Amino acid sequence: MLWGNSMKENVKARFFDVTSIGYIFMMLIVAIVQPGEDVLLDLGQNSLVALLCFVVALVLVVMLEKAKVKTLGRLIFEPAHKKAQGQKKGMLQSFWGAQLSVFFLITLIASLIVTEFSFYELSSQKGFEGAKRIFSAMFTPNLSILPQGVLAIVQTIFMAFLATAIAVPVSFILSFLCASNIMNKSAMGVIVYTVLRIIMNVTRSIEPLIWAIIFSVWVGIGPFAGMLALMIHTVASLTKQYSEQIECVEDGPVEGIQSTGANALQVIWFAIVPQIVLPFISFTIFRWDINVRMATIIGLVGGGGIGTMLMNYQGQALWHEVGTLGLLIIAVVWAMDVASAQIREALK
Amino acid sequence: MSNNILSVKNLEKTYANGVQALKGVSFDVKKGEFLVIIGLSGSGKSTLLRCLNRLHEPTGGEILFHGKNTAHIKGSEVRNLRSKIAMIFQHFNLVDRHTVMSNVMMGSLHSTGTFQSLLGLFSDKAKEQALKYLKLVGIADKANYRASQLSGGQKQRVAIARALAQHPEVLLADEPVASLDPATCHTVMDYLEKVNKELGITIVCNLHFLSLVRRYATRVIALKGGQVIYDGEPKNIDNAWFEKIYGEGAKEVHIN
Repeated sequence: MLWGNSMKENVKARFFDVTSIGYIFMMLIVAIVQPGEDVLLDLGQNSLVALLCFVVALVLVVMLEKAKVKTLGRLIFEPAHKKAQGQKKGMLQSFWGAQLSVFFLITLIASLIVTEFSFYELSSQKGFEGAKRIFSAMFTPNLSILPQGVLAIVQTIFMAFLATAIAVPVSFILSFLCASNIMNKSAMGVIVYTVLRIIMNVTRSIEPLIWAIIFSVWVGIGPFAGMLALMIHTVASLTKQYSEQIECVEDGPVEGIQSTGANALQVIWFAIVPQIVLPFISFTIFRWDINVRMATIIGLVGGGGIGTMLMNYQGQALWHEVGTLGLLIIAVVWAMDVASAQIREALK
Repeated sequence: MSNNILSVKNLEKTYANGVQALKGVSFDVKKGEFLVIIGLSGSGKSTLLRCLNRLHEPTGGEILFHGKNTAHIKGSEVRNLRSKIAMIFQHFNLVDRHTVMSNVMMGSLHSTGTFQSLLGLFSDKAKEQALKYLKLVGIADKANYRASQLSGGQKQRVAIARALAQHPEVLLADEPVASLDPATCHTVMDYLEKVNKELGITIVCNLHFLSLVRRYATRVIALKGGQVIYDGEPKNIDNAWFEKIYGEGAKEVHIN
């Protein structure tokens, strides 16, 4: 109502501004009051304070709107035709510039405090000695465990391969259902798109490590649980990467094939698939690459392969053996990296 | 009346963002003519063509194709319409990773079953036809090249062959030579003329250059701000009309 008829953008912009300004207020209060731990743990009272901050922010945002001040939210979410008109102010003289700077600065300071960032710890003599000991042990590998290591890493590679191979066709199909430019044609499409997106985002936000724990309870500890964990995560990640690729295909060929009277499946197959096949292949190879590395981590919870072996030696502080396996992993990951880069280059 | 293949009545198109591209456009297209539409960029030419083959759905008015209103048809009816009204584009819109031959075969997607087409099983007849049309536009020797390896003019000729593979009654051309050099312009326009005269396909073509309009068009329509301001023979467009269409002080650029 205040800034024309683009209601949706208006709501987004306002939400963004209220959140960011409210957050700034909250951080300022924390900085001024310097609450102790008992105060910080009082969720009820703190929620109230937070709510208050957001209410004050909302009032401020509405006032800013009335004054036609360009906030960061407006800058980001205003529609393109609005962006084109109106004079541009530099970042330094504008409100949104100040808003962005304060937001970033406060977050940076808070992060430094929360992560207990300390140059003192980083440069302490004792800690450094310890790290040096481990490193020097790792760089003098114990080659007698190499045969077992090779066997374990072969298991890991196959595990990663199977996870990727099962995930690829599933992701391929899901990616079209998760691409907004394909699904936004009908109401049903939008529903399917939204539901799948939510499922995929939730799945992806759960780390493979957690999936491995879940599956090791489900199917028992071992490579099968690890493979399932990797597969689930791979489906979610590849679907996201694939669908983003689908969303940025060129419209030209799509229009070209549509104009021949082709149906939707034919348009996808002849106009979209040729444009995405190369990125799909490189994503896939890259994902296998990632899965080999991840499979080693999965070993932490008994996902099998070289990871489990690595964790055993690490638990016993056998750093020479850990170093051996580390070198093995580096060799395999490096080889896969080179191979995938060469293949992707050749396919261009 | 009966020789009107297309008849546009009071056509309107307003986009979702509020831009009104067509404000009540009316005209007829006679069977077999080479109709050229001129006008400034943004005058609604492209929108108009895309309404004719229903890449866009008009927001008002009628489009009669053989007397049947196609303004709001859906689904398979739209695909049937598109198969009869082919289109070529300024940026060719070929599938770059496929071969020239494969691109032309895509013109017969509508007449091939979904399953066969996805497996690439086009009929021998379709292949024969594709090669025939590639010969017609003089580019059969490049049949096994990838589309991305061709020059602009060659790509447009492949696009014409793809359009012909649909066996269309009408061919829409959206600024087919706007991204080509002057010499290539004439080659492509000559092929369009050949399609028009030899195969009897009706052509509706958006163009920029008046010299091309005078050379190729049998009739001209001028659009300005989404409305028809001229409908007649190309030879009658004099300087006064030119200024009216393109604005005061506009200079005509000749290409030969």
